[in-house]
Amino acid sequence: MNEMMLLLLCGLLAAVFLLAEVRQHNHAHEGTHHRHKIGHKHGEGFVIDMHAYASKISHWNPTFKVILAIVTLVLCIALNNPCVSLAVLIAMAYLTMVKGGLSVSEYLSVMMIPIVFILLGTLAIAIEFSYQPIGQYNLHCGFFYVYTSQDKLKEMIFLILKVFAAVSALQMMTLSTPSSEIISVMRKAHVPTLIIELMNIIYRYIFILLDVYSKMKNSADSRQGYCDFRTSCYTFGGVAGNMLIVSLKKANVYYDAMESRCYDGEMVFLEEEKKVAAGQIIAAAIFVVLLLMLWWFTK
Amino acid sequence: MKQPILSVRDLHYVYGNGQAGLDGVNIDINEGEKIAVIGSNGAGKSTFFLNVNGVLKAERGEIIYRGTTITRKNLKELRKNIGIVFQDADNQIIASTVRAEVGFGPMNLKLPKEEVIKRVDEALTYMNILDFKDRPPHYLSGGEKKKVSIADIIAMKSEIIIFDEPTVALDPLNAEMLEEVLEKLSREEKTMLISTHDVDFAYRWAERIIVFCQGKIIADGSPLEIFQNEEVLKQSNLKQPMLLNVYESLVQKQLVADEKTYPRSIEEFQKMIQAIS
Ligand SMILES: Nc1ncnc2c1ncn2[C@@H]1O[C@H](COP(=O)(O)OP(=O)(O)O)[C@@H](O)[C@H]1O
Ligand SMILES: [Mg+2]
Repeated sequence: MNEMMLLLLCGLLAAVFLLAEVRQHNHAHEGTHHRHKIGHKHGEGFVIDMHAYASKISHWNPTFKVILAIVTLVLCIALNNPCVSLAVLIAMAYLTMVKGGLSVSEYLSVMMIPIVFILLGTLAIAIEFSYQPIGQYNLHCGFFYVYTSQDKLKEMIFLILKVFAAVSALQMMTLSTPSSEIISVMRKAHVPTLIIELMNIIYRYIFILLDVYSKMKNSADSRQGYCDFRTSCYTFGGVAGNMLIVSLKKANVYYDAMESRCYDGEMVFLEEEKKVAAGQIIAAAIFVVLLLMLWWFTK
Repeated sequence: MKQPILSVRDLHYVYGNGQAGLDGVNIDINEGEKIAVIGSNGAGKSTFFLNVNGVLKAERGEIIYRGTTITRKNLKELRKNIGIVFQDADNQIIASTVRAEVGFGPMNLKLPKEEVIKRVDEALTYMNILDFKDRPPHYLSGGEKKKVSIADIIAMKSEIIIFDEPTVALDPLNAEMLEEVLEKLSREEKTMLISTHDVDFAYRWAERIIVFCQGKIIADGSPLEIFQNEEVLKQSNLKQPMLLNVYESLVQKQLVADEKTYPRSIEEFQKMIQAIS
């Protein structure tokens, strides 16, 4: 049953890799200057993971960080107040950069990942179309008008602010807490064990398969496997097929290795107990109260 | 005579695809022995190890651990007392921090948490990698991963430790580190089995050598017996260890008196040379 689970997982991951390959391939054509940026070659997930281990607040209790992030997120959305959003944005940036020691440029580059989605999404709220210039601001585009108003623009900006604040709360968590710890918090929150085990294995597996994949790709590359488009497609097919076989085989060996260490169907990992300082809890409580007060007075 | 710690009787194993893995293996292993397992690729070494560990279940034959025959019920006893360090550390490391990884075995043994923590710390100190504790395994180098995979087994406190081709992916420095660890383990009277293609290492390290060929044990004896047996070497496509070869040539040319000293390491050889001149 567990072996089946592992097998299934591999199939799944192989599919993910096909997608990743397509994306990477597009990137590769943009020039080689991307190459020397550490981490970026493996996609964003990889970078964030690295930051989490380097963060100076990674020794904080993960449950505390997760709860703080979620409470902040909920307040941010529920209170729906630009002042609160701004306060959250500043507080989270402070935690991540000043306390966590992440550089400003790194932080900005991580925060800018969703910017296109946010702009496109909020733009739809601010602008409308009509045949007559009926809005406060009108832009003539041939036979129709794009119009908007000050209120709408304000609404859009507040929305952007809110989304960014929400994102920054979550980023505070992911940029300071390694995935394994986030998973362990979820386990404590009684998420079903099957999901927890899957997450644990997938997380470890991603790195192994990335490794296998890059080796295979390099070896194909060294034999002129990507010399033109046709060959690239052909090579890609070969590598993808091989990946599948390799992951199936790896799943088998992996299972053997686990069994040889007395694995009996229940995967429990040793976790480090990280203490919460009383000061942290008090500070967090004060922060939440401040947000509520801010909301009350600017309502 | 002392009772062997592990006995294997007439073990047969056939893989799912009809490929024969083991074809009637018989062996007795005594406590504290340092055994090198040699044989060409596909000879059945890994299959033997997995069978002995109870991961693969043989269709015929029996395994006796300290006098008790292993059945489905006491399989766990076998896994608890025999640990395998797999050939490729990446196929063994399962957790996403070194701490959780080394703790995986002890946790599965259902030990109390304090004991697990103690064992993890001990094993990491033993391998000299205590400061890796919070690192994720995917940011470790090959040699470091190997150390972690050995710490995995040390934390389980198994009585028999099996290393499946441990030197294959290691650079000379890490290979030396490995030999130091082996030295340390043998001082603690651990029973060890190591499969290897490095005949020089086998000659230098082992007290006993087992030769596999096509799923059978074709020879079992002291390093000297094995490496002087032309027949066996030919059958398993092995060469003589360099030192043995050199020594025999020297004796043949009568540059060295035929005292049957058989130096096993460079140091011993140098001592011998020094003694003559
Ligand atoms: N998972 C497997 N499925 C099918 N056949 C296998 C598998 N693993 C090994 N074999 C076969 O079993 C035989 C012994 O292999 P193995 O024990 O891995 O040899 P060694 O470790 O000595 O190189 C080989 O012929 C090999 O092809
Ligand atoms: Mg093998």
